[in-house]
Parts: sequence; C-alpha cells; structure tokens
Amino acid sequence: MGLKKKNSELFVNTIGLLITLGIAFFLVIILIFILSDEPGKTIYYFLIGPFINKYYFGNMLNSAIPLIFTGLGIAVAFRASMFNLGGEGQVYAGGLAATVICLALPSAGALVGIFLAVLSAILVGGVIGGLSGFFKMKWDTDELISSFLFSAALILIINYFITGILNDPNSNLLTTPLISDKYFFLYIFPPSRLDISIIFALLTAILVFFFMFYSKWGYEMRMCGLNREFSRYGGINTAKYIVIPMFLSGGLHGLAGSISILGTYHMCLKGFSGGMGWNGIAVALIARNNPLAVIPAAIFFAYLEAGAKAAMLHSDITFEIAAVVQSTIFYLITAQALYNFVRYRKRVEV
Amino acid sequence: MSYLEMRGIIRLYKESGVLANDKVDLSVEKNEIHAIVGENGAGKSTLMKILHGLERPDQGTITFRGREVSIANPLDADRLGIGMVHQHFQLIPQFTICENIVLGIEPKKYSIFFDREKARGRVMGIIKEYGFKIEPGLTVSQLTFGQMQLVEILKMLYRQADLLILDEPTSVLTEQEIKKLFTTLRNLKKIGKTVIIITHKLNEVKEISDRVTVMRKGKVAAVKKTAEVDRKELSRLMVGKSVLYDIERAELTRGLPVLELKEVTLRQKNQDMPLLDKLNLTVHASEIVGVAGVGGNGLAELEDVVTGLRRISSGEIYYNNNRITNSTIHELREQGLCYVPADRLYRGSSLRSSVKENMIITNSRNFQKAGIMSQKRVQDFADTLTAKYSIDGDTALPIGYLSGGNIQKVILARELEAKADFIVFSEPAWGLDIASSEFVYKKILQLREQGSAILLISSDLQEILTLADRVVVMYKGRIAADLANREITKEIIGEYMHGIRGDFEVK
Ligand SMILES: Nc1ncnc2c1ncn2[C@@H]1O[C@H](COP(=O)(O)OP(=O)(O)OP(=O)(O)O)[C@@H](O)[C@H]1O
Ligand SMILES: [Mg+2]
Repeated sequence: MGLKKKNSELFVNTIGLLITLGIAFFLVIILIFILSDEPGKTIYYFLIGPFINKYYFGNMLNSAIPLIFTGLGIAVAFRASMFNLGGEGQVYAGGLAATVICLALPSAGALVGIFLAVLSAILVGGVIGGLSGFFKMKWDTDELISSFLFSAALILIINYFITGILNDPNSNLLTTPLISDKYFFLYIFPPSRLDISIIFALLTAILVFFFMFYSKWGYEMRMCGLNREFSRYGGINTAKYIVIPMFLSGGLHGLAGSISILGTYHMCLKGFSGGMGWNGIAVALIARNNPLAVIPAAIFFAYLEAGAKAAMLHSDITFEIAAVVQSTIFYLITAQALYNFVRYRKRVEV
Repeated sequence: MSYLEMRGIIRLYKESGVLANDKVDLSVEKNEIHAIVGENGAGKSTLMKILHGLERPDQGTITFRGREVSIANPLDADRLGIGMVHQHFQLIPQFTICENIVLGIEPKKYSIFFDREKARGRVMGIIKEYGFKIEPGLTVSQLTFGQMQLVEILKMLYRQADLLILDEPTSVLTEQEIKKLFTTLRNLKKIGKTVIIITHKLNEVKEISDRVTVMRKGKVAAVKKTAEVDRKELSRLMVGKSVLYDIERAELTRGLPVLELKEVTLRQKNQDMPLLDKLNLTVHASEIVGVAGVGGNGLAELEDVVTGLRRISSGEIYYNNNRITNSTIHELREQGLCYVPADRLYRGSSLRSSVKENMIITNSRNFQKAGIMSQKRVQDFADTLTAKYSIDGDTALPIGYLSGGNIQKVILARELEAKADFIVFSEPAWGLDIASSEFVYKKILQLREQGSAILLISSDLQEILTLADRVVVMYKGRIAADLANREITKEIIGEYMHGIRGDFEVK
C-alpha cells in the first residue's frame, strides 16, 4: 500500500479550471463573430491588445491591484465559511475615508498622511464588515444579507456626501476635491498609470497566505470554516472567528479603496469603485480562495477588461462585451465551484 | 455459479495511493448470511461500496444472478435489488421516518408534487408486511440508534432489495438492539433475502452468519463456513497471528472527587419531561464510571452537559471543587478536559481537514511561537501518533480518506495523548478492530492508574463491565442505578436499562 500520486486532486482541479476558461473564451469568440463586422481584428485586439504597448499593459496591471485586495478579502472570509457580500460599499467607504484624511491633513508629512489614510480606510472597512460578523455572533443574523444591506445603504450615504458637503465646487465632475499631490503613489511604469502599490498588493497576498496557512489564528479560522462544531468541541473560541474574518475581509476591501484613491484617482469620484467588490468574489472563486492564486486571477480579470477596452478602441464593438465576458466567466466558475462542492460531499460523507 | 460473484476486484485510491482492494474475489450464495471481517483499513467498506455503485473498480467483474452487471451508481444497484446500509447513517435528521424512506423515489401527485398520503400508505405497507413496529411519522432525530438502523433497513426493503449489505450495523447498538436486528436478519433470510454483514465482533459472526470471508490488507485471506471456524482461528486469519484478549483491571483505591454533578436538570422548551432529571453523580480520581442506557434516555445529553457543550437548566457542576456550571467547553479544555465524542464524523473530526490538522485541534498552541505554527513540530507530533496508535494513512491528506476505524484512532490518539485528569469517552471502541480496541482499553486503564477520572458512556455492556469501577444506568433522564462493578451481570444492567428494575438503589 505505497504512496503514489498525491497531486492528482490538484491536477483534476486545474484541468477543470482550464476547461471552464476554454469554454468562456469560445463563447466570447462566438459573441464577437455575432457582434462585430470585422471579427478577425476584434479578436486580435481582444486577445493581444493588452500586450501591444507599455501603456495598455501597465494599465491592465494597475486595474488588477484593487481586485487583488478585494479578492483576498473575499477569500479570507470564505475560508472561515463567512460570506461578505458588502464589498462594494466597503471599498467605497475606504476610498472616502482615505480621501477625507488626506484633505483634512494638507500639511502633514507625506508618509504620515499616507499611513493615516490607509489605516483609517482599513479600520472603516473592517468595522463595517465586522459589524455584520458581530450581528451574527449576537443575534445569529445572516451575514450574507446584513453585509449586503449595509453596503447598499452606505453607497447611497457616501454618494450623498460626495455630491453634498464634500463636493468640489470647482469641478464639473461629481467628486471631492483633489488630494494633495505629495500623497500620490509613485508611477513605476510610465506612460501607464501603474503605480508602486502593485508591490504592496503582492506583499499583502503573501502576508495573507502566510497568515491563513502558517499562523495559529489562520489555522483556527480555517478549522472553524471547515467544521464549526468540531472547532467548538476542540476548544476553539468560535464566536471570535465569526467577527475576525469579517473584520479582516472588510479591512482588505477598505484598503482596496484607499489604494485606488492614492494610486489612481486622487479624489473620491462618485461611483469610482463600482464593480470592485463583485469582481473580487469572482477572483476569489477562480483562485479557489488561495491567497497566492488571487494574484493571477485578478490579473486575468483585469486582462479581460483591458482586452475588451482595446478591442473597443481599435475595432467596432462596444464595451458591454467586456461585461458579458466577465459574467460568462463568473457563472461558469461559480458552477464549477458548486460542482466540486457536490462531488466532494458525495465522496466524503458517504 | 453463485448468486453473487465478484471476481478480481482492484481498486486503487489515487488520492491516497492506497490499493484498497487487490484482486478480491467474493462469492455469496443465495439466501445466506455472509459475514466479512478484517482489520481496520482492510478494504471491506471499499468492496461493498463497489458493489453498491459508490466506487468504481479499476478492474474486475461482478456477476449477479448469473448475469454480468455494471454498477455505475447506487441507482443502478437499487434497480438490481442491491441495497446498502453504510457504516455511518445516511438519514436526514430533520425529516420524518417516512420522508427518509421514500427519499429520491417519492410517490408524486400530478407527477410533480410530493404525495404525502401515498408515501405514508406505502411505508406503512412495508412496515406491516415485514412485521415491524414503528411509527413512520416520527422525526429521525428523536430515534435511538437501533430505530435508525431499522429505518435504514426499511429504506432498502422499500427499494425492493434482495441483497442487503450492512456495514458495521451493530457498532452503536445495545445488546438488546443487536438481538432484535439479528432476529430481523434471520426473518429476512427466511423469506429469501440474502445478507452481507461487516462486523468486528467475532461472536456476532459466529451467531449470525453462514459463511465468512476474511480480508487482510486488501486481499482475501480466507473463506470459511462459519460452523467450521472458531473465533481464535478467525482472528488469526485476520491479523496473521492469534490475538488474545487479556485485559486486567488492577484494584485501585479511588482518589478525591474530580467531577461532581448535583441535582443537574436539563429541560427542553415545550416539553414536560426533562431530558436530565436531578442527576447526582460523582467521578473520582483513579476511577472509571461506566454509563449504560438505551438511546434516548439522556446519555447524549449527559455527554453534552459534562463537556460544557450545553447549558443546564438547574443544578450545579463542580470540577476539582470549582464551580463549572456555566463554563464553556473552551474553558474546560483549558483546565484539562479530554473528550472522545460519540459523533465522530462531525464533532470529533473535520473530514475535509488533513489528519495532521485534526490531531492538533485541542492543543494547537503547543505548536506555535508568537502565533506562527511550527510545521515541523506538527509533523513530528503527527508521525509519533501515527506510529504509536498504528494509524494507517497519510497525515497530509484529509481525514475523510481514512477508513472508519482509522478515523476513530486519530480521535482517540489526540485525546489520549493529552493526559488530562478528567476524560469523557463516548463509544471509544466504535468501529475498531480487535487489536486496536484492546490497545485502547489498555490505554484507558493506564490513564486510570495515573489518576485520571474517567466517564465512559457506552452501548457495549461488555466494554463497561471490562473497564468500569462503577456502573451507572440511565433511564428516562434519571439515574436508575449506581452499582459497584462486582457481581453484576449484563442481565441486571439490562433490566435497569429497560426500566424493569429501578425501584431501589444500590451503592
Ligand atoms: N475516499 C478515499 N480516498 C482515499 N483513500 C481511501 C478512501 N476510502 C478509503 N481509503 C483507503 O482505503 C483503505 C481501505 O479502506 P476501507 O474503508 O475499505 O477499510 P475498512 O476495511 O472498511 O476499514 P474499517 O474497519 O476501519 O472501516 C484505507 O487504507 C483507507 O485509507
Ligand atoms: Mg469500513
């Protein structure tokens, strides 16, 4: 009874993912044939567009940055068997918090200001997420619903501030004033907008990975996620691990918001974060909640968007196709995740 | 040609690299009761899962009633008339007996709606036809293990199974329940059914089976007529040498009280009868208190209450003279509680976590420094336990890949290693083969000698009589008897368990 192929499970999963992505691409190509008068050119730009110059390539990586953070946020919660559907609002709130700090401290040192802005964004996001966890711990309310509702309400409130007292009267955009340029993150790949925070994103992914798989907290959190009854039996304080993962998840979302402000937008534009929360869920699913796999998954998602943009600029399709592609992939990935779940249960519980 | 012929069955689990069945041949005659025995991990469950379509063999053929058949899933098996009761119950606790029985092939109204009336009628029909007594409207969560077992059997009969497979059906049943089960099996045999039964208890093999197939390390070691082998011979065939049970409980003077229950009462909302009714119970250091009782009489509740998993309604609990009435299991564990639960699949282990991760759940803090886990120390610990408790499996793989008995060994290893002064065992030998249960019994007695106070809840009276210093019998949430383990017999305990005796108390 020797030991043989240990990796076959991983192998099967990867193959499954590749098949899913293959189907998605196939569908996209069919769509392009239907929607475009010059499908050859459109497909070319869709697939190769993001790589044809530094500008496109850098921007693609730049738009992956917030997705790395939100993907990590979702993955952390998922691993603890918690569902954070409030990502949209948490990113937005984090962005606003960072902007407000920067605007309130026009004359602080650059590093101090950045530090405070990022910290406040993490705390704001964390508290919003943690609140759903706290409600669940206290009154057993469903965190999936409460986080979604909080987020929906928050978005309206934040819009109110941006278009109201925080509005920049000198701009004809619906936005807050620009933050001081000493707080801007350094561009590292001109002429694109890619900034130094990509390094920060990579480090965060590594840190989260390490936390989940090598720390005691991470171990206890994962155990709670896999079997709460077992964890309680084993003496783990399970109530704690209802609140903590939601706090961390919210915090990572808030962080995503602040990084986007400091690196890309430099002001809190109304609706700047739209989609970052939802796409984070897809990214986490593609990555199977593995923090390191979140990096390629986020870049892949950004690639789809960048490809669609390039195809739009150089050919005759509209941007909506990117949304169609993303949702196609989202559905296929979710379906595959569900399939694996069912197959798994069949094997183990029988 | 026999009724059932499995020929040259090979099954390699790729995930674990285990060759669970290595050219296994099994032949079963029509109308016989055929036992399969073998050590933990010998491949018994795997072979039966193949027969029921839950696993595909890599090679080999199955001939059933003279025809070669291909069984791709349990539905195929049902269609052929092959039914199976798994090592772990497959019932949905929130559903009624009736709903569980018809699950998957419900009678329909207008071909879409569940026809409750018709379902009930049909289930009643089956119950009457085979002469059972059970009310199909009861919810499964209220049933005793014996009744659940019956529901599983009814499920097979409802699907018109002719060949019935039972994987370790007796491990959680009380002696009376086992007797009933065996009567049922004999009756089924009388009306022409064929039964395959897996068990670790060789006296049961002798009692119920006509023939027996012995498996060892994925292969068939022998096929015998039951009448022609004795238990010693069987155990020799199973392990390659003969194992003799020799467990000696040394005389010890018990120490100070460790756990004390005073007037402990547990009520459930909207119910008049308390689940636990004014229990007074003390477990001393160097003492094993065995708790016997038929399911549904408060054993499970007692288990939850003394381990801090469930709040009591009134009364007090003391641990080393400290009041712990409202302590959580988290706090009790910190003070040195160890606990092997009856529910080993959901409470005692986390099936999707690796064996290693399952081994350190209670003491993960010992493997960390400043919050960082030392992978090496975890691995060393896991390797030590695996060797010491002869656990058969790769510690990096999910524990769900292990055989039933090996899962139990992991749980036992984890809890026994902690060397606590108070330990709760519920069904400790569940699913263990002979050698392993002997090892575990010795270990439990050793803990007693080292001064631990031990509460042993078990459906196996032999186990209780072998290990316990005192025997407590629960009946209807009360302590019906508290007897010193001297000159008492299974029969006496049995009478208390069924409320036949219980008007007087002996100390
Ligand atoms: N799903 C699985 N994946 C990987 N390996 C498995 C799986 N199921 C069983 N095995 C391995 O196959 C071997 C045989 O397991 P099986 O469950 O057939 O044993 P068994 O004879 O029923 O033992 P027990 O008496 O403990 O129930 C074991 O070594 C086990 O680790
Ligand atoms: Mg088995």
